[in-house]
Amino acid sequence: MEKKPTPPRPPGVCVPWEEKLKELPPILSREDLVKQSWQNVDGLAYCCAWHIVLSF
Amino acid sequence: MPESKEQLYAERLKRYTTAMRNGKPDRIPIRPFVAEFICNHTGYTCQEVTQDYQIAFEATRKCCLDYDWDAIVPNMVYLWAGVPQAAGLRYYQIPGIGLDPNIAFNYLEPGEEHAFMRADEYDEFIADPTAFLFNVWLPRVSTDIVAPGQPNTYRNNLAFFKAGLSILSYFNAFGLQVERLRTECGTVSAICGMLKAPLDVLADKFRGYLGLCEDLVVRPEKVRAACEALMPHLLHLAISSADPSKTLPLGFWMHRTCVPFISQEHFDSIHWPTLKPMLEELWRRGHQVLFYAEGKWDAHLDAFAELPEGSIIFHIDRTDPIAAHRALHHKFALSGGVPNHLLAFGTPQQVREYCKKLIDEIGRDGGYIMDASAIMQNDTKVENMKALTDFTREYGVY
Repeated sequence: MEKKPTPPRPPGVCVPWEEKLKELPPILSREDLVKQSWQNVDGLAYCCAWHIVLSF
Repeated sequence: MPESKEQLYAERLKRYTTAMRNGKPDRIPIRPFVAEFICNHTGYTCQEVTQDYQIAFEATRKCCLDYDWDAIVPNMVYLWAGVPQAAGLRYYQIPGIGLDPNIAFNYLEPGEEHAFMRADEYDEFIADPTAFLFNVWLPRVSTDIVAPGQPNTYRNNLAFFKAGLSILSYFNAFGLQVERLRTECGTVSAICGMLKAPLDVLADKFRGYLGLCEDLVVRPEKVRAACEALMPHLLHLAISSADPSKTLPLGFWMHRTCVPFISQEHFDSIHWPTLKPMLEELWRRGHQVLFYAEGKWDAHLDAFAELPEGSIIFHIDRTDPIAAHRALHHKFALSGGVPNHLLAFGTPQQVREYCKKLIDEIGRDGGYIMDASAIMQNDTKVENMKALTDFTREYGVY
């Protein structure tokens, strides 16, 4: 598929990790784990909301 | 006869996938999309199968045990009323709630003046569809969710929890249902995942069909841009719900994006250019798509023939079966074509005769899957379903 400019909130994302990271105190260890858990649950919220449009 | 359900499943899966790849299996696979038909066979009401998905699952398994079907949708009634009730969705009419318990659920499309997205909101939608969904669309489609800036409510906060949990609990239950279909019935799950076209989504859930018709004439560039904005989201949802093993096709539900619902010009300039790239990308990733072409798509068969060989299975509803066979069968498998009115009002002998005609015309060389034209609700007679199944088993041998 032709590459389009990235939208402000890309597919699969409700609140981007980069936006959330600015709100947090310094992460002292394993930022990757914090990021992963944020993105996993954020992606679930995205899917639930969009599936109301698509499936229900 | 297979010795075990596992062996039966393996035979049916091979038969089904061979046909979907446009090959010639041992015989024609039977893959009926039975929705509220399961009520006719089991005695449940539409209300019972809609309000309790475990009842719908059980009724589906009962049908699979009683009919020799190769593949089936794990719950084609599809709507579990728990979800719209949790989210307070306004656009459903649910059996048993102001509607006869023996009538299937309905979608209610609001009039133009009450569309869930106004004509002057295209730019906001295009700029950030997910934000529009949360900030504008959900508050309008829900009785409980309030828009940002409005006084918050207990019911608003609760609606998000309940909607999310209801969707997760329902979707998660499909895993066990698919497993039970396999181990208890030897039946294959027919599809995995969901795709819809941007233009259909725009009409179905945002502008309404009449609103979209006006937009196509007055502001076609906005419609095209909105479809382009939807594409990455619909593709993401399709990929994330597709079969990881790439065995089963994505279900693609095609509603009102064919002539005469839209013009050929709008098909060519808006619908197809915002759908075809998604189909090509899905195929590039190895995912086949079942074109569940509700209605009559004769005007667009040449466009579909542009798609990569094997990338779709074309399902025949009101499309002329012979025209579909001529235009597409050299590249794709076909399915369906038995008219629902015949299954509802005809006799078993008429059903057998029609199935014979259909098999002779489009199913002689493989690459065909037996099914009705459209999803079967509770007007399909049990004796006609039995005739379709038994005749296909007997006559549809290669």
